[in-house]
Amino acid sequence: MIVAEQKSLEEIKRVIAPYEKVLLLGCGTCVTVCGAGGEREVAFLHSALRVAQVRSHDGIHNFSEYTVKRQCDFEFLDVLEDKVNEVDTILSLGCGIGVQVVADRFPDIPVLPGVNTSFMGMAKEWGVWDERCAACGDCRLAETAGICPITRCTKAILNGPCAGTKNGKCEANKDMECAWILIYKRLERLQQLEKMRRYYPPRNFRVIPRPRRIVMRADVESGGDNG
Amino acid sequence: MNNRVKNYQVNRIRETSQGHSLIPPCQVACPLHMEIGKYVDLVAQGKVLEALQVIREGNPFPSICAYVCTHPCEDACRRNQVDKPISIRALKRFAVEFGGDRMIELEAETTQDEKVALVGSGPAGLACAYYLRKLGYPVTIFEAYSELGGMLRVGIPRYRLPREVVDTEVQRLIHMGVEIKTNTRVISIDLLFDMGYKAVFITVGAHQSLRMGIEGEDSPGVIDGATFLREVNLGLKPALGKEVAVVGGGNVAMDAARAAVRLGTSKVSILYRRSRTEMPASPDEIEQAMEEGVETMFLVAPIKMKRENGRLSVTCVRMELGEPDTGGRRRPVPIEDSEYDTEFDTLITAIGQAPQISEDFRLRLGRGSTIKVDPVTLTTNRTGVFAGGDAVTGPATVTQALASGRQAAFCIDDYLHHRYPLVDKEAEETLSGELSPKTIEMIRKIERLEPPLLSPETRTKEFKPIEQIYNWEAAVDEARRCLRCGMGAEIMFQDKCATCLTCLRVCPYHVPYLDEWGTIQIPADECQACGICVAECPARAIILRKPYDRRHIDEELEHALRSAAESKSKPLIIGFCCQYGLFGTGTLASLWRESRAGIWIVPVLCVAKLEGEHILRAFEMGAEGVFIAGCGEQCSRENTAFWVLQRVEEVRRTISQIGLEQERVQTFNLRAADDDITEALDNFTERIGGLCLASVIEEEVKS
Repeated sequence: MIVAEQKSLEEIKRVIAPYEKVLLLGCGTCVTVCGAGGEREVAFLHSALRVAQVRSHDGIHNFSEYTVKRQCDFEFLDVLEDKVNEVDTILSLGCGIGVQVVADRFPDIPVLPGVNTSFMGMAKEWGVWDERCAACGDCRLAETAGICPITRCTKAILNGPCAGTKNGKCEANKDMECAWILIYKRLERLQQLEKMRRYYPPRNFRVIPRPRRIVMRADVESGGDNG
Repeated sequence: MNNRVKNYQVNRIRETSQGHSLIPPCQVACPLHMEIGKYVDLVAQGKVLEALQVIREGNPFPSICAYVCTHPCEDACRRNQVDKPISIRALKRFAVEFGGDRMIELEAETTQDEKVALVGSGPAGLACAYYLRKLGYPVTIFEAYSELGGMLRVGIPRYRLPREVVDTEVQRLIHMGVEIKTNTRVISIDLLFDMGYKAVFITVGAHQSLRMGIEGEDSPGVIDGATFLREVNLGLKPALGKEVAVVGGGNVAMDAARAAVRLGTSKVSILYRRSRTEMPASPDEIEQAMEEGVETMFLVAPIKMKRENGRLSVTCVRMELGEPDTGGRRRPVPIEDSEYDTEFDTLITAIGQAPQISEDFRLRLGRGSTIKVDPVTLTTNRTGVFAGGDAVTGPATVTQALASGRQAAFCIDDYLHHRYPLVDKEAEETLSGELSPKTIEMIRKIERLEPPLLSPETRTKEFKPIEQIYNWEAAVDEARRCLRCGMGAEIMFQDKCATCLTCLRVCPYHVPYLDEWGTIQIPADECQACGICVAECPARAIILRKPYDRRHIDEELEHALRSAAESKSKPLIIGFCCQYGLFGTGTLASLWRESRAGIWIVPVLCVAKLEGEHILRAFEMGAEGVFIAGCGEQCSRENTAFWVLQRVEEVRRTISQIGLEQERVQTFNLRAADDDITEALDNFTERIGGLCLASVIEEEVKS
């Protein structure tokens, strides 16, 4: 799941400053789950912006709010058609994908980001999220006992641990587990320690062209006599 | 009007189910199906007037039930599974007394032509009269004794039900226009029809004591329970002698024994042929009787009596318990050669009672000489003649009789209007009874507060009522123990739910779970309605089945803000205070609505339901400071303080980015033992005043 964090109120105030009518647009999927831009957060931000406006005595904004099920698909945005005509800007609390899709869908209206899209991760417990995947496009988890060194090792090294590990913690952050120690322990538990004894050559990230695209459908001729 | 009263119950249920709440077990168990959860919650909020209103809607004579109800609701109460049930009857008594029930006056207009005669004025008859008057029928009650009330008057001893209570209710009925003919024994139903009555309700009760069928039963010194209690209740003082035995194990036996104690006998023994666990009397009664010095002899039955030398010589036999009978109680079997002789001055038999129905009524009788009726329509074999109460059921409880009277009134209304009888399709959705062990484990155990009783020494001297009323704080605390069954959270908007698992993670009772299809379920049977998941749900998909609780905060806040805007006193401070802990107990009652300049209180039904937006809304509308006062560790729910602090921190972070000081949001513990809340509040007000002044000066300097 994509994890995001709401931008500071100050920054949000700054980016919306030029616009009068602002639509606060939430997203009902990933950012709802990570508590950054669901209906509850949209409503809270709405209240906060109103307080800020009242307190600074320069009330020019007119806010409205709406939350769609998912911002990253055009079809979900159709319901906004009428609403966007009445506003000067959309502050999207969706992830970076959502912001871009909304912008793509409504080419005539400025779309602003309300959250910082942070990483792909999981909820460790209520209110705590951890990064787990870097979307490197070349998954090696089979060799690393299901623990990703690219994301969870500060240096993202493929042949760890480095000399900086101490008591199972990382030298960069004493509270952070060393990913390679975790990998070692889990391989030991799975009796696959031989995987530690191999050398993994560095990967060539340049071979991955960006932006990436995945085409699932087969390239077949449509129509004709086959149907 | 007719339909409104008649469909009262159905309507009420529909109304509540609009909020999706499920019928709690207490309401199901109540013969009158009173909205117990609702009035207990109102008592917990300290709203006795509203509580009394709810009680009066479901019960024609709440003051009577408040004294004598056998409270099957408490047996069904799910707190039984946690610790002890809510003391529902005593709370009703509190609401009746403190809500000023005796001041209530009722009126009824006659809108119907058909006269109805009621034979008997026990609880069933009185209830029937009450509802028939509400439906607009002219009603006449015929009562053989000189006073109305039936068993309420002649059966139940005064120490359990003061006569003034019955008098008040009777007066109220007279005020409603019920015609009363006392000292009038009805000897023929035909005569009533000849007199122009279009329908007759027979509710003559079960006043005839059953006979033991043993030798010497008619000797002087042997008296039956019903007669004895009638004499005592009519103010006579039967001479009992020194030693009295009461035969039987039911409530009448207890009443007789305890009345005998109050008449000054030196020793009262109860002879019961089974053991204590099989005793049909209510456990409280047994307990209190024993406190008053009544002795109990179990597994004993008299088999022969003889009057000798001015005393009663009784031969008893010892029993043992054999196989269970059809009723499930173990049958007592005499032990051979275990007879023994003993002596008493008086023996009171209380082994059961049956109705005595005149043959001239030409009514078909059933088992135990009770009147046979259709259970749905209460019709007898004779057209236009209905029957109810103990005369139909055999000896039962007051509340059952009231329910039967109410049912009869509606059935008579149907009959007189040639309507097909309305079958009460009661609440499709009821709550299953059982709480799961893991929920039980998480529910805070809170001791049940019993209303104080007079000491056994004082109470046995006279026939004064022995139970005292709760004081305000005790009533509120007791009512707060309610688990609010059926009012819990539900996922209202399944399409909005992102299955983020927040509810599952924040629930203090571990109630929400993921089903095998990956959908979150919040079982209504388990939810404790604390409201934490409602406030935390990032998708706003959850609401409480009783939606009032959240709307309540919005409405109260807007109301406070409006009033504050009018009053213009500065600085404006909004206080969100727990309604249960605050007004219920009066801790902060002195703060109520601007009794102190600038402070406006918004009562919340537990601070866990307060959302950050509410606090921000206060600031938006010009509040200079906001405080939240909860009950801390005294809260009857779990983790509320933690969640309040979470939201307060969220708000503090936000307002500090707006340029407001974080200390403008403060939390207080209403129930902290060592902290003086008023003093803390004074300091807070002072600080806010200072901040306010500082910002004004700053503005001046800027301009």
